[in-house]
Amino acid sequence: MKNGTKRLTTDALFTAAALGIFVIELQIPSIGIPGVKLGLANIVTVAAAFLIGPWDAGAVLLCRILLAGMFSGQVMALWYSLAGGALCWLTMLPMRKILTAKQIWVMSVIGAVAHNIGQIAVALIVTRTAAILYYLPVLMISGVLAGLFTGFAAQFSVGRLEPVVRKIFR
Amino acid sequence: MMKTKTWAALVGGFLLLSVIAALIVYLRPAPGTVANIYRDGEPLCSVDLSLVTEPYEFTLTDGRGSNVIRAEPGRIAVVDADCPDRICVKSGWHSDSAAPIVCLPHRLVIRIEKNAAAGSEAVPDAVSQ
Amino acid sequence: MDLTVYGGPDGILTGAEELIRSLEAEFSVTDPESGVSRLNAAGYGPVSPETAEVLETALALSARTDGAFDCTVYPVLRAWGFTTGEYRVPSQAELDSLLPLTDWRKITVSGGSVTFGEGQKIDFGGIAKGYAGDRLIALFREAGVTSALVNLGGNVQTLGTKPDGSLWRVAVKDPGGEGYAGIVETADRAVVTSGGYERYFEENGRTYVHILDPKTGFPASAGLLSVTVVGERGILCDGLSTALYVMGEERAAELYRGSGDFDMVLLTEDGRILLTEGLADCFTPAGDWADAEITVIRHDEN
Repeated sequence: MKNGTKRLTTDALFTAAALGIFVIELQIPSIGIPGVKLGLANIVTVAAAFLIGPWDAGAVLLCRILLAGMFSGQVMALWYSLAGGALCWLTMLPMRKILTAKQIWVMSVIGAVAHNIGQIAVALIVTRTAAILYYLPVLMISGVLAGLFTGFAAQFSVGRLEPVVRKIFR
Repeated sequence: MMKTKTWAALVGGFLLLSVIAALIVYLRPAPGTVANIYRDGEPLCSVDLSLVTEPYEFTLTDGRGSNVIRAEPGRIAVVDADCPDRICVKSGWHSDSAAPIVCLPHRLVIRIEKNAAAGSEAVPDAVSQ
Repeated sequence: MDLTVYGGPDGILTGAEELIRSLEAEFSVTDPESGVSRLNAAGYGPVSPETAEVLETALALSARTDGAFDCTVYPVLRAWGFTTGEYRVPSQAELDSLLPLTDWRKITVSGGSVTFGEGQKIDFGGIAKGYAGDRLIALFREAGVTSALVNLGGNVQTLGTKPDGSLWRVAVKDPGGEGYAGIVETADRAVVTSGGYERYFEENGRTYVHILDPKTGFPASAGLLSVTVVGERGILCDGLSTALYVMGEERAAELYRGSGDFDMVLLTEDGRILLTEGLADCFTPAGDWADAEITVIRHDEN
């Protein structure tokens, strides 16, 4: 994707959407298992990977995580998000090539699971407690379920947004 | 390109495995009755829940913040904390679960184990000053 | 104020808070309506049983410590600004004019009535918290409580053991830092610490601590960083910790050998720990003091 201004504007738009969704999710109370959440902002990441390509999707993800860290004021949470986000993005990179438009949700599921693995890895490092791994199966379940939900939302969005994005970058 | 059905089967299989693993982990009883409290992986203090006769509370504080822990006969919980997510509080009572109570913002972990962790009990009941 | 009480009737904590408030109202020197303030203003008069009891204990403690503890040092303490926080170094002339007021012998207590010497004023700052602790512990004991911990601004007093039967672990603050110098394991005892680190100010490169030597009117400098006294009576521990800080290690050891009602931990400026024999097995040094040289003071040595 070329064209500097259009590209910057589109990426900024995606970042803004992701941030808005993130702020909404902040209002959903957390439950008693660390790391279990819907990850609604993942909708934007997945959709972006398909619509504007993995590199721009990565930029959007990074900007969203940094800005969200500032919004929520949780410095430690930033590290978890960065680790989760990085791992999520790395798995999405090859996925995009082998998935059809009807399989976008798969990328979301794998991304969500990878994200949770990244988070638990950071948690292992900071707490230096192997017992954290007790939460791994639960986080895998929550990753699959949340990934399915955000994945189908992303798939639906991509279907609607693709003609628009194509028009912009014609 | 793989068929969507194949992907669905893979995801379903992974989900099933995770559920089985979670059941194994959660149905496994704790190996003992001693709640060991760790910070940064280092033992802080221990409470033998089988010896607690009257409920009592104590507060663990460091530069990151405080967690108020309540011990009752046979069970333990974080009842208050000033961490941002308060997941440790929502985690509720733990009595015979092998899964730990975790406060990631304060790097605090409470595990129920067989014996008191070596080097624990570093936390005094009060400071004379 | 930090009260931890196990068992006992409902409302026991409310009763405890009321007791603390009433003692504050009686002993405060900042409240002009308090019993002590009115006594200071008049110089004589009838006093409440509480004030009489604390004053008598204070005078007995002064006699016992040869004036190292003296509640009549208050006018000098005020001149230094330690009561208000407006610190200053008084001139020698000012101290010379105030020092004659510091003399516990000039106070007489008889039949609920007190008479001060000319211009004398008293302050229970070094003893009131210990008395309040004793009263709280007595209140809890009478209410059937078997396990309690009272922490009045760093004065720790315990009733019984912990609910699980283990000893209370009371840390002694590291006078030079944030952590602990050690842990005292105890039951049914008060653990009270005094040290210059609690309040001090610096002027022209010199440090002035809030514990004054009543003899000189100057901050005590007897080579100690802090004194922790462990005993059954909080009021005694409170007053003694101040007095022993003023007296220094040799006179403190001497006083200990002639007594049987307290134990102590002395932390010296040159990094040593002195323990009395009653604490030899229940004090564990910690933190920066973990490797300090420990000397045990025994009753039967000379």
